[in-house]
Parts: sequence; structure tokens; C-alpha cells
Amino acid sequence: MKGTIKDLLNITGVQGYVIASGRNIQIKLPSRHGLANAKDRLMDLYKDLIEEGKKAGNTIEICMEDTIITIFLSSSTMLMVVSSCIANMALLRMTGKLVLANIVKEK
Amino acid sequence: MNQEISGDLENTRCPEIIKILSLGKRTGRLILSYGAESGDIYFQDGKIIHAKCGLIEGTKAVYEMVVWPSGEYRFFVDDTPDITTVDISIEEILAETENRIRQMDRISSLIPSANIVFVLDPDIKEKEIPIKSIQWRVIAKINGTSSIAEIAQSIGLTETDAMKVFYTLLKLGLIKEVERSDSHKAKMSVKLPVTPFVTELKNDLVKAIGPIAPHIIVETAQEMGVDLLSDNMDQRAALIETIHSKIPDERMALDFLNTITDWLKQGA
Repeated sequence: MKGTIKDLLNITGVQGYVIASGRNIQIKLPSRHGLANAKDRLMDLYKDLIEEGKKAGNTIEICMEDTIITIFLSSSTMLMVVSSCIANMALLRMTGKLVLANIVKEK
Repeated sequence: MNQEISGDLENTRCPEIIKILSLGKRTGRLILSYGAESGDIYFQDGKIIHAKCGLIEGTKAVYEMVVWPSGEYRFFVDDTPDITTVDISIEEILAETENRIRQMDRISSLIPSANIVFVLDPDIKEKEIPIKSIQWRVIAKINGTSSIAEIAQSIGLTETDAMKVFYTLLKLGLIKEVERSDSHKAKMSVKLPVTPFVTELKNDLVKAIGPIAPHIIVETAQEMGVDLLSDNMDQRAALIETIHSKIPDERMALDFLNTITDWLKQGA
């Protein structure tokens, strides 16, 4: 399966991503981005979403004024993709699912 | 209107709901639906006082609805009718209901759906077969293309009554089911435009779900209003995403997504 982070970042409009699993969180966003330094808030969001019974679904999209946050969930791993409104969302969702499936598979 | 209970008829059959409402001495309207059909049963202090199912009213309407094997029900408290069309006890209704459900189960074992199409069987084994007028009316409409439901509608019968007639005719050896493969093949022979994208999409989807793939592609494109000949990348990606969500096997779905996304990116 080829879905890699690189594929995700190659999609026009994708600004960066966050991967959270267990106690670890990896944030790859431009330093100027509002979420780049929001480690604690993102960890809280991850814990809240991954908690049993609170899982809203495999994919969650949060649309803000000029940013779209797409969250993919699988077992205890969360992949969050931050993109602008110009991104092809269907392509982003497809690639995101593949990337997360790869991350989970590698574990 | 205050909706109190609702649910699925597959899990709770109609007689059970009637029993519950009767024991609870409830007053209100029970709305039942089964496919395109729907009807109401009105309760007054736990007693059925009125029922309506399409054009049928009274006890007959109750018996029509109680055999529905699936569908939905909703009960609205204190919704009462202006007329009374049912005047027999719940016990009598439930006893008759049980008979009808048994009868319907027997029919369903031979004729599982009202969508089945029959044709007259030329190989009659009996020398003489007496035919009732209602059976003749049905026979006159059997043409190898109309389903039981369509024939029932054309001669003003309920689907349940029509299925009973078809069951008898089938038992008498007067009719036989139309070979499904013919109508099935006709439905499956979907023409897809021949473009690199559509061909790749079809080939990848066939690997995931088999020969039904062209049908799913056309159906999904129609649902989404996507032109399969269009070069629009957004539309293609959205179409793939929706088709991917229809693949039941998760691994197959991911494999499909993987190959087609790869192709899409190469072409982009």
C-alpha cells in the first residue's frame, strides 16, 4: 500500500498534519500556524475522541473560516490533517484513510 | 401529537405491539409502514376501534398489516379517529392474526417477495383444474413481465391477498417463476463509457466486488450527478470516495482506494 505522509503533503492545500497515538503526539505544521503550539489542546482532543463510546466515526471534518481540519481515527491512533479550503477534500479523505491504515498496520 | 414508542417490525412483530398496547390500555394511533405501503390502527383504552390500510378499512385492514414481516411502527398517544370500523375483541384479532402469520410464513417459503414475476406454465399435469373467479382475474394478468405487486395493484387486490392467489396457482402447477437470470442479465448489462478513467475504475472495482461493479459505478454516478466522461478531478475523487464507502470488505475497500488513488494522482 503506497499511501504515505508524503502523498498527503503533496495534495494542494494541505498545510500539515498531527499524529497521536497513546501518549505520543507528533505535530508537523508550519511554525506560524495557530495549531503548531497547541500540543496540550490537541492531546485533549485526541483523548476525547479516542475514548470508548465517544468516537464519532472514522472521519471527522471541522470546517473553520479558512482552514479545514480532517481527523481520521483507527483503533488508538488519530491522524489530523490541516488544510486550506482549496484542497480536494475527497482526495484528501481517500489518502488520509490510506495513510492511517498504513500507520496502524506498521504498529 | 406525542410520539411514545417506535421501532422496527423485524424485531417486534405487529401482534406483539398490539398485545403491549392492549395490556397497557393505551389510546392513540399506531402507524405501520412496510415498503411503499402504510396504515393506521387506532386504539381506545387498549381496544382496537379503527384501522385503515390504503383503501381497506376495519378488521380486514388490521389483518393486512399484522402479517408484515418488516418495516417500521410508531405510536402516537391520544390521537383518536372520528369513526369506528372495528368491533371485535383483541383476543379474536390476535387468534386470527396467528393463523394468518402461519399462513403467510407458508406462502413466503415458496414466494418470498411480491416482486417476483410469474409466467403461465404450459405443462399442466392435472386433467381438470377448477378456477375461482379471483384466480382467473389474476391469471388474465400474468404475462411474464408484471410482478405480483404490479398485478395486485392493477386488479385492486392487496399484496397479501395476491400472494395467496399466486401461492394457490403455483401449488396447482398453473404458473412458474420467470427465470431470474433473464431479467437479472438485462439489469446487469450496464453500458459504461470507455475512457481510461472509467476502465481503470471498473477494473479496480471488479477486483473488490466482482461483476456488479459497472452497475455500482453507474448507480453512484447517477446518485451524485457526476458525468463519467468529465475530466473534473474533484468530481472523480468524490465519485471514488463514495464508491469506496460501498465496498463491504474493509481490506478490499482499502486496496481499491490504494490502486485508484495512485492512478488518479499519476493522471493529475
